[in-house]
Amino acid sequence: MLLSEANPAAGLFVLVPWIVFAPVIGLLINAFAGKRLGERGVGWVASLASGAAFLVSALQFYALTLHPEGAQVKIAEWIRIGQLSLDWTFRVDSLSVTMMLVVSGVGTLIHIYAIGYMHEDVRFKHDPARFPRFFVFLNLFIAAMMILVSADNYLMLFVGWEGVGLCSFLLIGFWYDLDTLGRSSWANSNAAKKAFITNRVGDFGFLIAGFLIFWYMGSFAFSEVFAAAPEVAKTHPWVITAITVFMLVGVAGKSAQIPLYVWLPDAMAGPTPVSALIHAATMVTAGVYLVTRSFPLFGLTHDGQYIVATVGAVTALFAATIAVGQYDIKKVLAYSTISQLGFMVAAVGMGAYVAGMFHLVTHAFFKALLFLSAGSVILGLERGHHHGHHAPSSPVLPPQGAGNSLSHGEIDRVKEEVFDPGDIRNMGGLRARMPVTFWVYLIGALALAGIFPLAGFWSKDEILLDAFLHYPHVYWLLTLAAFLTAFYMGRQVWMVFFGKARHEAAEHAQESPSVITIPLIILAALSAFGGFINLPFKGFHQFGYWLEHTLGAIEFPPFNFMVAGVSTVLALGAIALSWFLYQRKPLEHGQTDPLAKPLGLVFVGMEQKWFIDEAYQFLFVQPYRALASWLAQKVDWDFWHEWFHDSVLVKGFVTLARLLADPVDLGFIDRVSYWLSDAIRASAETLRKLQNGFVRSYALSVVLGVAAILGYLLLK
Amino acid sequence: MDASQIIFFLSAALILVSALFVVTARNLVHAALWLIATLFGVAVLYVLLEAGFLAVVQVVVYIGAIAILFIFAVMLTRRDLLSQSSQTNANWPVALGVSALSLAAIAFIARGFGFSLDRPLAPVPTDSLERLGQALVSPQQFVLPFEVASVLLVAALVGAVYVAMNKK
Amino acid sequence: MTITDFSVILPVTLLTAWASILLLAELFLPRAQRPFLALLAALGLALTLGISLAQSAQEFAPGFGGMVVRDGFSNFLNVLFLLTGLFGVALSYRYNQRAQIERGEYYPLLLFSVAGMMLMGQAADLIVVFLALELLSFPLYILSAFAYPRPQSEEAGLKYFLLGAFASGFVVYGIALTFGASGSTDLARIVASVAAGSANLPLLTAGAGLLLVGFGFKVAAVPFHMWTPDVYQGAPTSVTAFMAAGAKTAGFAALLRVFGAAFPALAADLSPLMAILAAVTMLFGNLIAVAQTDMKRMLAYSSIAQAGYLLMAFAPFEIEAARTMAVAGALFYLLAYTLASFGSWGVVIALEKDLDRHLSIGDFAGLARRSPWLAAAMTVFMLSLTGLPPTLGLVGKIYLFRAVIEGGMVWLAVIGALTSVVSAFYYLRIVVNMFMREGEPAVEREWWLEFAIGAAAVVTVVVSLWPFPLFEWAEWAVMKLF
Repeated sequence: MLLSEANPAAGLFVLVPWIVFAPVIGLLINAFAGKRLGERGVGWVASLASGAAFLVSALQFYALTLHPEGAQVKIAEWIRIGQLSLDWTFRVDSLSVTMMLVVSGVGTLIHIYAIGYMHEDVRFKHDPARFPRFFVFLNLFIAAMMILVSADNYLMLFVGWEGVGLCSFLLIGFWYDLDTLGRSSWANSNAAKKAFITNRVGDFGFLIAGFLIFWYMGSFAFSEVFAAAPEVAKTHPWVITAITVFMLVGVAGKSAQIPLYVWLPDAMAGPTPVSALIHAATMVTAGVYLVTRSFPLFGLTHDGQYIVATVGAVTALFAATIAVGQYDIKKVLAYSTISQLGFMVAAVGMGAYVAGMFHLVTHAFFKALLFLSAGSVILGLERGHHHGHHAPSSPVLPPQGAGNSLSHGEIDRVKEEVFDPGDIRNMGGLRARMPVTFWVYLIGALALAGIFPLAGFWSKDEILLDAFLHYPHVYWLLTLAAFLTAFYMGRQVWMVFFGKARHEAAEHAQESPSVITIPLIILAALSAFGGFINLPFKGFHQFGYWLEHTLGAIEFPPFNFMVAGVSTVLALGAIALSWFLYQRKPLEHGQTDPLAKPLGLVFVGMEQKWFIDEAYQFLFVQPYRALASWLAQKVDWDFWHEWFHDSVLVKGFVTLARLLADPVDLGFIDRVSYWLSDAIRASAETLRKLQNGFVRSYALSVVLGVAAILGYLLLK
Repeated sequence: MDASQIIFFLSAALILVSALFVVTARNLVHAALWLIATLFGVAVLYVLLEAGFLAVVQVVVYIGAIAILFIFAVMLTRRDLLSQSSQTNANWPVALGVSALSLAAIAFIARGFGFSLDRPLAPVPTDSLERLGQALVSPQQFVLPFEVASVLLVAALVGAVYVAMNKK
Repeated sequence: MTITDFSVILPVTLLTAWASILLLAELFLPRAQRPFLALLAALGLALTLGISLAQSAQEFAPGFGGMVVRDGFSNFLNVLFLLTGLFGVALSYRYNQRAQIERGEYYPLLLFSVAGMMLMGQAADLIVVFLALELLSFPLYILSAFAYPRPQSEEAGLKYFLLGAFASGFVVYGIALTFGASGSTDLARIVASVAAGSANLPLLTAGAGLLLVGFGFKVAAVPFHMWTPDVYQGAPTSVTAFMAAGAKTAGFAALLRVFGAAFPALAADLSPLMAILAAVTMLFGNLIAVAQTDMKRMLAYSSIAQAGYLLMAFAPFEIEAARTMAVAGALFYLLAYTLASFGSWGVVIALEKDLDRHLSIGDFAGLARRSPWLAAAMTVFMLSLTGLPPTLGLVGKIYLFRAVIEGGMVWLAVIGALTSVVSAFYYLRIVVNMFMREGEPAVEREWWLEFAIGAAAVVTVVVSLWPFPLFEWAEWAVMKLF
């Protein structure tokens, strides 16, 4: 509190818990009064709650500019057991405030967008009653994510880490009983379970890392762990490496890295705002944040750094190849997200924390933008489908809002033809019908492709430069990934927005309302200019200087024209190649991908995601199921129940019982037990007689007590 | 043994015997009369203790009011004054044993008090009645218990009236 | 006589005066306005509660030459007794209309009884203790018989009166012996005479033993408990609720005050006695409660068993350090018991549609479906009486058991724990009935009743989550007692 006496700005630090309280208040209001507030009310409450968190984050930013040393704000004691002493403490420093601003800023925009998106989505899915629930989950996510990024110790971070995992599960399975096309199915809940279970594997790694930290450093608090780390590194060098590797397992789960990335593409089953917020901009970057936050640990182990960087780089390239062969607009973006997360993980693995965090921020802008625009496209197509297909001809369609009463089977009957609004083969020529969406999408795509001077160019270039200087193999993997990135984004833009409509829904597609487009425009602006927070020229590393307060002195390599030039040329070349393949002669309805022929089996591999899901199915899921059914059937049922229980226990018991029954039981026990039960019955009878309702008996009992008490006092 | 001691033993015997008859008399009116005898014996004890005021109160209140009230109540409410039912039940040996035990215990404990026939009475101040009166109204002594007792009597009176008067 | 004297007895005086005015008020109220009396009574209790709370910050003060005192102990109990009175009024209000016993004498008598309880908490002289005991008991005798001429009620009142008078005889005898042994009825002077060596210790011990009989009767400790089931069953349920909480608390107030303040020198003799009494009471109460099917009788035996747990507080009296904690724990437990007892009797009242028919445990079947909030509240009370989380009962039991163990009587704590397990059987049987059996219980919906039940349940749960301020208050209350 001395700080606040010295300067009012530092007093702002004590406000920091409100980044969690505000969304919690919002979710409580919506959870209890959501039905009464109506859609508009629910949306605004949730958005205001998130906006309040952003405001508090901004105040923290302001306070931090004046007091770069930051603060730790303790709000409650948590655990006091032996030498373990943990508190609910919020850590305000430049790193956590960066994450706070991204989470609450992008989060608020997505909340606003979701008001419009969910309004239509719940109606396409015929269940408007679920509207408030979505915003409850969304606010819960903001709260959990804020705990994660503002934690002052690993255990509190883990609470947030699990909290966001829970929200992810809840939101992927938001339409748990429908599939993406609105048919009755468990596909979405399966996707949610896949995400959750895969993340459990990662959390297992994180937990082991946590146990190691506590065992060897005696604390969970960041400052104490980092202070103890150099000593441990000297005495037990392998411990630090083990911690970092187990932490990497956790990172691979949360940030979708090889080998645990498989859940993220399926997670696109969630509504698009969820994909944008959780599975692109914020939650999946938690792993990157964790590595950056633990930089003193990673700085002590070269092996750990090497492994992390290589995993990130391989993931970046691998996911990019899959993205090339996808047709679902969100799947492409999902694999692109995995690929970009690979960039970030590689960067923080190399020790280029500023570059990694920089890319995290810009990626949050442009990937959120791309997802939300994709959502806008999907909604446009849904509208077009609705307009072109049903409105004139089919009076069977239930009125809006009355869909609850229809069973899913009936909905299926209404939709005679299955139409996938997310398939880019159904799109084409949307540029004219959805101009705003087109322009913002173009900006996002170019930013992602790394075209000068958009945000992605600066951040990606910084990663490549660091890799070029320190880890050549990472550099080559990432450069190739960058080339493919530009290619698949080009392919997507050409196929979605140019050429002719390949489906009547695309012909009748309509632009989205302003509640959707305004957040898009804001994000587009951020994607375009977001790179200027950290230009690679001396004196312009604003973001780097900012993070230096947390990360210590950072060395900024000078801008390298060779690296920047190569990546720009490659990106432009990839776009040109995609134009050559997809726009020179636009795709017709039903035509196969022009890449399929020249690449042959390679394209099949890309299209089928290199059969990784199938491989996992074969390698893990099936053996696991076989083991489980073997345990259930053979061990538990056949062996335990049938054989052990029936043969050994029951038969043995029966034999023993026969043995005991005649001589022992009848002869001896019976007599004793009869005597006992008689005695109990007799004493119960006596007791009942005592409680006979006569005052004289009761008085006698009192006198009995008197005699006993006096007798005791005399005789003791 | 002087005269007062002889009187003490006589009245003690009167108290005990008549108390015994109170509970064994079959006729309720007889029981009430025996009660009067008991109360009278107690009044004699007060006199022996030179507590003249208490003796008078004992006679006036207990004999003059309460016991007479008993007799009236008995005569007004009971048509059958002679109880024919057995006066003891199966528990009487237990009750007797327990009571005897309690008596023995109390007697044993009270023995330690050091009762003695030879010990002279503590001198009773001549203004004891005056003192009693003052004690009952002195704030430092018994005015509070006195008042509480009156509240208690009010409550009891209200209750008695309720139970007696409530005819539906 | 000084201002302090008056200030010490101000709450009691106010309540007594209010009761007297209430007696007169009934004369001027037309028949249709009778319900107004309940409100007036509640107002009087609330006013007194306000004064008691206002006085709670004040220091220790003796009054009337040491006849009464005002200290933390009496303040805590005053608040508890006044809450008891308020609960009693809330539970009586509609029940009395239903039972057609809405007569003007009811609330004045209830107020007199509360005044007696408060005086009991403040008494510092055995004479006042006795008068307070009678002042709180007499109205209860009459209230038990208040449903006159319903025979059960009449019988309950008569039994309670006869046995109560019998027990009072022992109290008087105990006081006489104590006076004979120490030459005074003033608690402080008794202590002084023991300290000076002028007291006759065997006689004093016998006096204490006889006092224990009288108070043991009031708190329904075994073997002085036998009136309890009959009276609890026969008396109007609203009276039973008031009596089960108030009379027991007052009895413990007397025990704590007299045995804590006047007889610490006898602790070596009395502690084992109290421990045995506690053990017998816990065993007997719990075991017999298991066999009951009548709800009121079951609750009666449950209240006997609860008295056993409370008596454990006297077991560690020999050990100085454990004593304060034990008494504080007893006060805490009394509060928990008061809430749970009132709550469960309130639920009984809500379910007792036909007043002449006995409410059996089976009548709770299906309550969870019919009236889920009521069932939830009842569950809270049953958990609290059993001593399971998240309720005050658990916290209270923990404090008591800890004090007993620190007092070196592990065997007693073991009996307490074992009998708690036994008690779980009959308490949770009601919960099982409510939630798992089918049935169509008829539930009376009465606002005041529901409010009282709800408040008791909420406090029981909420305070148990953060009980430390309450326990600190209880500890502060007993600090000056010794």
